[in-house]
Amino acid sequence: MSGPALRTVDLSKRYGRITALDRLDLEVAVGEVLGLLGPNGAGKSTTVRLLLGLARPTSGRAWIFDRAAGDVEAAHRLLAYVPADVALWPGMTGAECLELLARIGPGTDRAYRDELVARFELDVDRPARTYSTGNRQKVALVAAFATRAPLLLLDEPTSGLDPLMEQVFRAVVREARENGQSVLLSSHQLNEVEALCDRVAVLRSGRLVEVARMANLRRLHRSEVEASFAGVVPALEAVPGVDGLEALGEGRVRFLLSGPPGAAMAALAATDVTTLRITEPSLEDVFLTYYGTGGS
Amino acid sequence: MTDLAAATTVSAPSASPRHTTRAGRGAARAVVHLAVRQTWRGALVVVLLAGAMTAVVATGYRATVGDDLDAQALAALAGSPAIRTLFGEPVALDSAGGFTVWRTGTALAVVLAAWSFLGVVSVTRGEEDAGRWDLLLAGRVSLPAIVSRHLAVFVAADVLAGAAAAGALVAAGTAATGAVLHGLGLALVGAVFAGTGAVTAQLLSSRGAAAGASAAVLGLALLARVVGDGVEALAWARWATPFGLVALTRPYSEDDPLPLVVLGVLAVVPIGLAPVLAARRDVRGAWFSTPTHRRPRRWLLGSLWTFALRRATRPFLGWATGIAAWFLLIGLLAASMPAFLRDNPRFAALADAAGFGGLVRVEGYVASLFALLAIPLGAFVAVRMAALAHDEVAGRLWLLLTGPVRRLTLLFAEVVATLLGAVGLAVTAATASTLGAAIVGAPLTWPAALSGTLNVLPVAVLCLGAAVAALGWVPRAVAALGALPAVGGFLLHVTAESSGAPAWVATISPFAHLAAVPDQPPDRAGVAILTCIGVILGLAGLVGYTRRDLC
Repeated sequence: MSGPALRTVDLSKRYGRITALDRLDLEVAVGEVLGLLGPNGAGKSTTVRLLLGLARPTSGRAWIFDRAAGDVEAAHRLLAYVPADVALWPGMTGAECLELLARIGPGTDRAYRDELVARFELDVDRPARTYSTGNRQKVALVAAFATRAPLLLLDEPTSGLDPLMEQVFRAVVREARENGQSVLLSSHQLNEVEALCDRVAVLRSGRLVEVARMANLRRLHRSEVEASFAGVVPALEAVPGVDGLEALGEGRVRFLLSGPPGAAMAALAATDVTTLRITEPSLEDVFLTYYGTGGS
Repeated sequence: MTDLAAATTVSAPSASPRHTTRAGRGAARAVVHLAVRQTWRGALVVVLLAGAMTAVVATGYRATVGDDLDAQALAALAGSPAIRTLFGEPVALDSAGGFTVWRTGTALAVVLAAWSFLGVVSVTRGEEDAGRWDLLLAGRVSLPAIVSRHLAVFVAADVLAGAAAAGALVAAGTAATGAVLHGLGLALVGAVFAGTGAVTAQLLSSRGAAAGASAAVLGLALLARVVGDGVEALAWARWATPFGLVALTRPYSEDDPLPLVVLGVLAVVPIGLAPVLAARRDVRGAWFSTPTHRRPRRWLLGSLWTFALRRATRPFLGWATGIAAWFLLIGLLAASMPAFLRDNPRFAALADAAGFGGLVRVEGYVASLFALLAIPLGAFVAVRMAALAHDEVAGRLWLLLTGPVRRLTLLFAEVVATLLGAVGLAVTAATASTLGAAIVGAPLTWPAALSGTLNVLPVAVLCLGAAVAALGWVPRAVAALGALPAVGGFLLHVTAESSGAPAWVATISPFAHLAAVPDQPPDRAGVAILTCIGVILGLAGLVGYTRRDLC
């Protein structure tokens, strides 16, 4: 196995007139956790389905460790998957579902599986019919992590989990990364992505609008600056990078700062600044700019 | 305080009983519309079928048998336990109406009954299990009301189908009283089984179990009619089964409405009971629910191949039980039937005209009935492939197909398991009929019976091919297209044979290409052609299945 864990080139999918995914170029390095973000209908699940060979690309290609994603017999030996909406055979118990998936899947570490069942507090003797959404998700999570597959494709895997189980999930993902496994994590839970991911890719209307390391992503975006002055409030309107200037009265201003901060800092330094507060954007702020109309 | 007063003023009208009632009615109407949307295609098919089949046989009556019958033959016919057992009591065969009722009545009643319970179970328990009723029930309409409205739509469709049959008989110039009684009987049989489906859907927590239980009721109802018709001492049994009651009405001869009153009661009971049962259970729950804990059963979970067998096992056992019961009865009747036909050559000619030739020998008699085995076999393979399509729509295949397995393997595994099931059912039918024949001392050997039941397998292969083709290209229609060669082919065969239609019409039906094995040697060309068409359809389906996106 060489090269990235996952790579797509010009990957596109159209359903009739709708372009669900438009020329996606994406890579997940070995040992990396990549967060895939985007509003509903952005193309996240389509991406995962194309990577799994469940849907055929209209154009473009995808590889799982240099194996064509369409060659499922080879590619699926190297991955495990957790869908957003887990459907199981209603009459089969959790244990039976896990056994089936272990026998059909790329191989299972049974001792680790038993450990995961205990950590996720999954009652495996109940028929799937009686499981809640979260319990069905636990079955899929246990089955996927127990494979110890080099690539994990997780499509909103924790939407049904309670906060305690969410913590277990995060711990298990970190263990996987420590073991050198790669993870593609599609999620709406921004704090989860923030806590787990090395890099983040943002999809919007089927297009990749950003892919960056978490720290860089913040840097690319506007910080909020609040300053108060003892004397005259400086004229900041024309300073490069300054936007949305607001006078708060009593010698206080607030503005948004993007790009290199040098010019703004120089303008501030020329005056008598009494307090200065710079707030980095949260991931939520970052993504609201993409999700909103301003991100296009 | 002012704000509160304003809020009260605003909300007051919405709480008024008049407004609530109007909105409630609107909600109830919306549920009916939903049920109609899910039902109308199937309903259209059964209504057209009831009208068309009745019309074709009634108008073609003169061309086939009209002038051939005399009173003596009729008396002989009515007196034969075996004839009564298999085809129902023959009455008024000397009239176009009576003949049509006798020839098409049972087939149409069974089609209506099966469509009604399968449909009701599917749109009630199936939708509820899929979680779609949770949203519906968050609205104003209660669970019992939703159940009864869905049920009402099916009963209305049954009434339309009955009206179509009655209309066809009147249009063909037969007496109106007989036509109305026949149409009403068909509608009520449909209603009884729509109600049965609704009741089983309240009692059992899965769609498959509810459909299976309703099918068992249908099988028992048919057997009760057969026993009541065939055994003098048990003649009363006909009063306890919808199929016996419609026969007792004797349209075009006695025109007795009393059995239909009893049938009406039989229909009202489950239709009234279903909402009552629905009101006393949890949504997504049932009266008899499965245990919440059990030890794992790990058999046949090792591969896609064994897993396909595992999933087919329970349905297979259900189908095998029904087929065994029916063919045991065929075996038990094997001695009396040919003897009767030998003594009544005129009826033998009639049977010949109606597509049951060669009945005068045991082998000929069983061969004619083995041909009917193609219908359950075709339905079995169609239902199994439809289950795969259903698993796909429900998203259950995703976890399987993200393993290192090809889609084709999954499909092949399902096809092989289904074919093995069909062969198993053929062996079951042969064994049961041999056993029945042995009990009454009729000369029927197991190899002869087996050659007869295996002879219909090409129809099952054709159905399987059609089902796979549908799975590849039109996955929503797997059950309908899969069952079409067997069910549609049989109805076409009966209609064409009984109406004097041009010869080529009959040859479209696969039943025209099945020899009467074991009475005659197998039609090798026919077997080869049916199998080839099945395989070609299957290959076309494979191409579609590997190319298309999975749901």
